[in-house]
Amino acid sequence: MGLLQEAIFGVVTGSYIAIAAIGFTLIYGIVNMINFAYGEYLTLGAFVGFFTASTLPGPLPVAVVVAMAGGGVVSIALARGFFTPINDTGPVPMLLTSIGLGIAIRNAIRLFGGRSARYIETETSTIRFNAVPDAAVGSIDLLGGFFVTSEHLIVVGSAVAVFLSVHLLLTRTEVGIAMRAMGDDEDLARVRGIDTQLIRDSVWLLAGVLAGLSGVLLAIQTNVSPTTGFSHILQILSAAILGGAGSPYGAIVGAYVIGLALAFSTAVLPSSMTSLSSAVAFAILIVVLLVRPSGIAGTEVRKA
Amino acid sequence: MSLLEVVDLDAGYGDLHVLDGIDIHVDDGGYVTVVGPNGAGKSTVMKSIVGIATCFGGSIEYQGEDITGLSPEEVAHEQIGYVPQSNNVFSTLSVEENLRLGAYVCEGVPETRKRDVYERFPALADRRDEDAGSLSGGQQQMLAMGCALMLDPDVLLLDEPSAGLAPDLVDEMFDRIDEINETGTTVLMVEQNAKEALRRCDRGYVLANGQNRYEDDGDALLDDEEVRREFLGG
Repeated sequence: MGLLQEAIFGVVTGSYIAIAAIGFTLIYGIVNMINFAYGEYLTLGAFVGFFTASTLPGPLPVAVVVAMAGGGVVSIALARGFFTPINDTGPVPMLLTSIGLGIAIRNAIRLFGGRSARYIETETSTIRFNAVPDAAVGSIDLLGGFFVTSEHLIVVGSAVAVFLSVHLLLTRTEVGIAMRAMGDDEDLARVRGIDTQLIRDSVWLLAGVLAGLSGVLLAIQTNVSPTTGFSHILQILSAAILGGAGSPYGAIVGAYVIGLALAFSTAVLPSSMTSLSSAVAFAILIVVLLVRPSGIAGTEVRKA
Repeated sequence: MSLLEVVDLDAGYGDLHVLDGIDIHVDDGGYVTVVGPNGAGKSTVMKSIVGIATCFGGSIEYQGEDITGLSPEEVAHEQIGYVPQSNNVFSTLSVEENLRLGAYVCEGVPETRKRDVYERFPALADRRDEDAGSLSGGQQQMLAMGCALMLDPDVLLLDEPSAGLAPDLVDEMFDRIDEINETGTTVLMVEQNAKEALRRCDRGYVLANGQNRYEDDGDALLDDEEVRREFLGG
């Protein structure tokens, strides 16, 4: 397979990481916590989508919308039950709570949903481009024939729609501007009369909806098991930190850097070492943070 | 008529008492200045009124209504314009967005007030789409004041408006405050630059160690031998 094909896989991977990383980084920037349970929201969204698709005869978009709503409800409910009550204790107790909550949710899903991997069946069409020259350098083809599936297009298209919607929300609406204001300076936000709890709830809802979408897209594109979310949380975290924690635009860039790095490392590493591909993502993270400790966007990190 | 009445106020942060029986009286349309050495509790008076500091005792009345112990969000709904000393704009938001949030508690965005602010501070109009963090210190102070004016407040609370400004800007800032007061907005100001502040205001308070020390017309305080010796450097 040529690098061009790997790049396509990388963009697809980057897309669902990006959707989730936006939610993760908004929680970090506005609620001021690292939510390690966030990966489980993806798993829950994926399972809600899977059971909707397998029990209701409706078309695929119905399952996607139900998964997004499910993610939002889960996120609000968990925030109300576990995070909002300890909101004033600071980031570390909240991080530890989220780690424990993540373990509990992961095992609850395994208990009720079983260990097996599932996927949402869709009618897939594949578009092939075979007449592309290989442009080989050594043993690596720079171009080469490639294909795009309808599932790839759904994932990437959803991501682009999310980017535009989130951008419009954050720059054009009162609640979005208030979210950014709160991430900037919570004390001043209160002086302005912003109901900080309402804004935190809005962020939880948005982040949950995005996690649900990311999860159901995973279930469509690949498959989901109870550990799917957990195996993605480090990539989501890396994308958010790479982009400059708290910045949704940075998180998008960070997600595609991670996605492409994962895909290319699979292509370049010998087949016996492909399990190291996630290590490559972290190697990039370490290098970027050494050069630019504040991440790619770098300016929107909440002042300590 | 009294607009703002602080009576026997004890206030501070956490367990720390900073104010110990402060009385401040602000008439409708007046221009009142609070001066005093560092640590006298000047800023804490402001922060108590807007609900940031904790009130342990005494009372704060605004337009005849008891606002003691309200949260900052609740005080914002009283349309009290407050300009904090530092961190008084959202630096990652544009000038326009900052002004919009200035009127967050109002229904809709009051476009005419925004035009008034831009007319008053033309430098802001030129940079309305830029991040507030990219403005100069003086412009940020103007923006902070503009945000407070977006409420069309009856009273404007200014916490050290001249702090950190270049000397030539300080006069301009005080002129702007005079203008705002002359158009009918009551001003309560805390200032480090005591002589200038007392010269401009019509009523002055001198605080020390969280207590009232002197209270008189601004000019009278400036002429008072003891006040001059103790607080104005002779």
